[in-house]
Amino acid sequence: MAYQPVVIDPENPLGYYTGIYLAQTADERVKRKLGPDYKGGGAVTSILLYLVEHGVVDAVVVARRKKGLYGETIIAKTPEEILEATGPKWSIVPYTLGLREKLTSMDVGRVAFVGLPCQAQFLRQVKMFPLMESDFSKKIYLIISLFCMGTFAVESFLNYIKKSYHVSPDEIENISINGDELVVKHVRGEIRIPIRDALFHLQHGCLTCPDYTGLFADLSAGKALKPGFTLLITRTKLADKIVREASNTGYLKLSEPDEESLKIVIEKAREKIMRSYKYLSTVL
Amino acid sequence: MSKPTILIYDLGGCEGCPLSIMRVYPQLINIADVYTKCLGKVDLDREYDYAVVTGPICINSPKHVEELKKIRKNSRVLIAYGSCASVGGIILYARGGQEPRPEHRVYAPISRVVRVDYAIPGCPPAPQMLISLLNCIRRGKGYFLDLFRAVALNPKLSGFDLMDEVVLNGLCVGCGACVLSCPTNALQMIDNRPDLIPEKCIRCGTCTVRCPRFSQILIQRSRLLQKASSLSRISGV
Repeated sequence: MAYQPVVIDPENPLGYYTGIYLAQTADERVKRKLGPDYKGGGAVTSILLYLVEHGVVDAVVVARRKKGLYGETIIAKTPEEILEATGPKWSIVPYTLGLREKLTSMDVGRVAFVGLPCQAQFLRQVKMFPLMESDFSKKIYLIISLFCMGTFAVESFLNYIKKSYHVSPDEIENISINGDELVVKHVRGEIRIPIRDALFHLQHGCLTCPDYTGLFADLSAGKALKPGFTLLITRTKLADKIVREASNTGYLKLSEPDEESLKIVIEKAREKIMRSYKYLSTVL
Repeated sequence: MSKPTILIYDLGGCEGCPLSIMRVYPQLINIADVYTKCLGKVDLDREYDYAVVTGPICINSPKHVEELKKIRKNSRVLIAYGSCASVGGIILYARGGQEPRPEHRVYAPISRVVRVDYAIPGCPPAPQMLISLLNCIRRGKGYFLDLFRAVALNPKLSGFDLMDEVVLNGLCVGCGACVLSCPTNALQMIDNRPDLIPEKCIRCGTCTVRCPRFSQILIQRSRLLQKASSLSRISGV
């Protein structure tokens, strides 16, 4: 088993990695699904499609948005199911008891997991140190973490939108980020909320979390500064191989990361570590 | 390079941990020189690189307390393996009335008696755990090693502590790690937050080390404790 000491250090906020790439989807289905307005790169979906269609994994665990800010985790086995889960979710989608039961009972061998840094930490621990016989350690093949600056306390955030903007949770259709604003599309139009105001509705647990990129994952992915691109950080040889293979088989277009994008990721990762020190000292 | 020596010693209990370790003997003897009752060689008087102790310590038994102290003295790294040895586990519920009348005060995690280097909760830990742990200790650093070292300094971990320290404190983000870890399904997700069914919790402590928030709090607290103890040594308190 590959050994990977994870050390959280503000001097080296991206942790241990083997490669950094700027990636963009080369898959028509993903492009069509995301639409022309989407600012991300769609690289994670493309990698998942490669994994499933080439039989590298039997299934992937992804989060799908149900309604508004609520979502559910699903075990996707077909490209259609994966495509349906594309795009940001804007809230954390918890792993539940049903997931463990499905994973242990289902006839799947290798599974790729997509989650947030906190979930990647849990999965890495399960894989490296199986504390329980009931752990599904052997099924975890690849852990993909998305960049995360924190998740919303859903109830509080929805209440804020309702009180301040008179949009009820049922009316929200989509939320996207545009510069310094959150754009909330609803049935009657759209509202723009400054990110500064929305920050008050972050979960407290996220304020003490030091992990921006997902230090425990095999592969970290997040929006690059350059519109239409995803920044990929590979942390193990396995992840590196998969990214290259996905590029060779025409799912992805890879390029060197630009300095600006790198600088911003490092800055944000360091900011999250420093923020966690500040808030953690108040709860010890 | 000669293989490190490892002593595996059971202080009693349900025998789940010794059974779990027994299943990795074939791999374990490749990486270490194993001393254990099952393989017919136990010698508490010689020195060991690693000692793995399973089961809680019975305070009423001077024989076992002496043995444990001897193991600590003769081993370079002492590992409390399994929930009973590391955090107390289900044995904490012993309250008298049953034969042979164990009481609350009688059984304790072994860190109550000796200094422990790494404490591994789990009821019982899966067989592969011991191999991964030894490999990690040999290489010597990383977040999870810090975590298991921190558990040794803070042997009060259970579903109840998870609720108190993380969920009721408002630090839970709702990732679902605890729910997926619980061996008895004592935790369930209700409105995106874990909820504990007290009767089902066996105090194994798995959920607490799996929780990203709690593990972080544990590591930071252990650092503070170590700092405080080194300060008190300097000032002679």
